[in-house]
Amino acid sequence: MTCDEAKILLADYWSQSLGEAQELGFEAHLATCNECRAETERLGALWKNLALLPIEEPGPNLRGRFYEALGAYRQGLESRPRRNLRDALAAFWPKQPAWQMAVSFALLVAGVGVGYGIHPDRPAREQPANSELAQLRGEVSNMRQMVALSLLQQQSASERLRGVSWAYRVEPSDTEVLSALLTAVNQDPNVNVRLAAVDALHAFGSSPVTRNAIIRAIPRQTTPLVQIALLDLLVDLKEKEAAPELRKLSTDEAVNGGVRQHARWALEKLQ
Amino acid sequence: MNGTDNALMAQVGAGEVSKLAVLFERHHRPLFRYFVSMNRNRELAEDLVQDVFFRMLRYRSSYDPRQSFTAWMYQIARNANVDQAQKRRGEVVGIEEFNERRPEPVSTAPGPEEAAARGQDLGLLKRALERLPADKREILVLSRFQDMKYEDIAAVLGCEVGAVKVRVYRAIRALEQIYFTLTGERTA
Repeated sequence: MTCDEAKILLADYWSQSLGEAQELGFEAHLATCNECRAETERLGALWKNLALLPIEEPGPNLRGRFYEALGAYRQGLESRPRRNLRDALAAFWPKQPAWQMAVSFALLVAGVGVGYGIHPDRPAREQPANSELAQLRGEVSNMRQMVALSLLQQQSASERLRGVSWAYRVEPSDTEVLSALLTAVNQDPNVNVRLAAVDALHAFGSSPVTRNAIIRAIPRQTTPLVQIALLDLLVDLKEKEAAPELRKLSTDEAVNGGVRQHARWALEKLQ
Repeated sequence: MNGTDNALMAQVGAGEVSKLAVLFERHHRPLFRYFVSMNRNRELAEDLVQDVFFRMLRYRSSYDPRQSFTAWMYQIARNANVDQAQKRRGEVVGIEEFNERRPEPVSTAPGPEEAAARGQDLGLLKRALERLPADKREILVLSRFQDMKYEDIAAVLGCEVGAVKVRVYRAIRALEQIYFTLTGERTA
């Protein structure tokens, strides 16, 4: 069993739904692979601890509201008389105080905006302040780009993972970071860095360059995990141009069965 | 239990709408937890639970008893969640409301699980889960909190079982990254 095959079995391992033979194979792999054993223990602890998070309970009114409404439904109130204007307006007004405040604030902002619209001539002294703000934003953006690019080139996989997380903070139009992410997807030796880079590409999805690069990356991948992540990304981006590549992938006997099946699913979603 | 759920929903579909009360008693808590996990807003979650049961009534004739009731119910729940998100797009999520909610019951986890939790801060884990992208948070909520079978999750998400397992792995990996980032922020 390879490391990639072992990772795919983790979800079944945690939910104790592995077959006997699969479990033996999985545990035999863990006995010989320190990296997978450590990952299984770390992620397994998180999986267990998720079950220890406090359980949210609904308030006492939910049950009362449900039975009241169900009773009304049973009495045939679904064909209720037409509501008057006041009731109709009340239905649009949110019940929660926070939303009520939000709506009130939005109305206030809209009012101020209308006021400014009536007097569009702004004082000239605001312009330098705006340009300083733009300059500051530019500097922050450059700093984020530098951190992301420098971390993505580190030897350590955990540093490169940090680099991927910095990529979320740059502008989606940043081609240098985009290029570094695509390089990570295609060439990084660590599967977790490749997976994280696929997730980070989502923010860059509006660019045709990104979309074409994602399509080209799928057949180059040898790891089903990453291939499936790329297919999910194409579906999220609604990239119809991927159809020919997906068709090829879904019929290629050399490709992992799960990936072929997922490619067929992606094809259906995009059509 | 699922067979009984399917039969009950079939009876609701045939006009015995009072049977919906049994389904409500069985499922309103897990549904509430799903919505709270997805939106971090208790009052909104209660409204959405109510909405799901009324969508069940409205679409009761479309239910096919051969399909999993749980999967069907969560398909409705996802649609209700997407609809409310579209309605509220552009509004600020009431995180402060979520943080100021009433105290929750303390987990009564037995000894071995507590031992497994050693060294990990559940508060940080909760925050990490909240920061997880919605699609990844959803798959962990369905698989871990709702104890749904991967086959049912596949039916809810409209993909095949193998992809669900891969997504579970990716979600927990992403959760780990955020968890360690938060741990670093706390110690910095």
